[in-house]
Amino acid sequence: MAKYKLTKDPVTGEELPFIILGEGAFIPKNTDNTDYQDYLDWVAEGNTPDPAD
Amino acid sequence: MSTLKVNKIRDTSGSTDAITLDPSGGAVLAGVTTMTTARITTGITTSIQVGGGVTISESGIEASGIGITCANINGTQISGRRNLVINGAMSVAQRGTSSTSQGYHTVDRFKPYAGGADENPTQAQVDVSSGTSPYTEGFRKALKITNGNQTSGAGGADYMQIEHKFEAHDLANSGWNYTSSSSFITLSFWVKSSVSQDFQIVLRTTDGPSQSFQFETPTLSANTWTKIVKTIPGNSNITFDNNASQGMAIYWFPFIGTNYTSPSNTLNAWVQSTSGTYGVTDPTTWWTTNDATFELTGVQLEVGSQATAFEHRTFGDELALCQRYFQKYACTDQEWIYVESNGAEYKWWQSHFNPMRTTPTVDISGLSTGSGTSFAGGSGNISSIAVTSTSGGDANGRVSYRVTGSATWGTARTLHHTDSWDGEFVTYSAEL
Repeated sequence: MAKYKLTKDPVTGEELPFIILGEGAFIPKNTDNTDYQDYLDWVAEGNTPDPAD
Repeated sequence: MSTLKVNKIRDTSGSTDAITLDPSGGAVLAGVTTMTTARITTGITTSIQVGGGVTISESGIEASGIGITCANINGTQISGRRNLVINGAMSVAQRGTSSTSQGYHTVDRFKPYAGGADENPTQAQVDVSSGTSPYTEGFRKALKITNGNQTSGAGGADYMQIEHKFEAHDLANSGWNYTSSSSFITLSFWVKSSVSQDFQIVLRTTDGPSQSFQFETPTLSANTWTKIVKTIPGNSNITFDNNASQGMAIYWFPFIGTNYTSPSNTLNAWVQSTSGTYGVTDPTTWWTTNDATFELTGVQLEVGSQATAFEHRTFGDELALCQRYFQKYACTDQEWIYVESNGAEYKWWQSHFNPMRTTPTVDISGLSTGSGTSFAGGSGNISSIAVTSTSGGDANGRVSYRVTGSATWGTARTLHHTDSWDGEFVTYSAEL
């Protein structure tokens, strides 16, 4: 299981602009958000997030 | 040297005496007395008095019943907020009061982090003991780090740090002429360690080529609060962008390994940052002592060359400043939701009540679903909650959720948490 997971709207199935960390922290895809900066660093290291459910 | 013995001295063309000598050793100067420098080399044994309102003595200047006119105090603004540090008195701890996790988990705005630990240190918000400093200076709380048991010793990559970050525009607009070596900021704080040693402190800028200012405390007496004051000049290489991103951080190191330090590093001056500019070689005693402690409070960073008295703020003021970076929403046992007409979409909204630094991370991991939840007028329970959109930044933001479960459609409902959501929180984080 990857550290991060992509998200979809549970009803519409549309991809949401969030990355999920752990058990339920929704990280917005905003480059001013330091959690999203950490996610981008993690991807740059060659990691891949889990797909959305 | 002979002694001139006279009672009075008068100018040859004057009509009144300029100086009348007192037999007991004093003198009375009449009229306007002009001098280039008045230097009292042995102290004022009593006082100099101007009228009945101003007294200058060894202990300071007392002015009563009059106004004081001056351009500045300590080279900066006369009143208003001086402390650039938020929560420097460690009074706000929204996330909790004790944790062995890394990062922000107790005292707001102060981020403890350990690298290479065999056993994670514990961070905690603790009480300051009464009856002595810094309690008597008005401090009631401190951030305390209790070391774990570092069985593998002091590795070169090991470290224990406490970090406080500043937004760049708060420094750019502080009034510190940071590119001038004759303009200063002053850092002051209270520190206590269970181990007698010196500790490394580093200020590190973020914008442009990063610059580091490294210094170390004197050797602290074990278990004794010590106030540290450091005045820091500007430097032509310092840059602060005018934005809400990180502009600088202060690091306190209970321990920093040799991978990040060098005996040849320059202390007490700005240098360009590298991975090795976190101080000079640090004593290992604290890190290799199981349950060693390091406490910090009264942190103040202000523009000017003098450390003024700590700027105590009300708890409410300090909390509001902290909420730019972290807020928590305390759920009740009934939260209003709206059921869309298709019967499958249940929406829940919350607002974060202060504008945050940027769009926050929303953590709902503290909310339970499944049994113990229900919809008023519906059936079944909440099967999932997902954040679907957020707003924030310069305005009060809103968070929208999609709740799945089963409920009667087409009307507003309350989302019941029958075992009570009391004590469960949604948190918003826009930390630097």
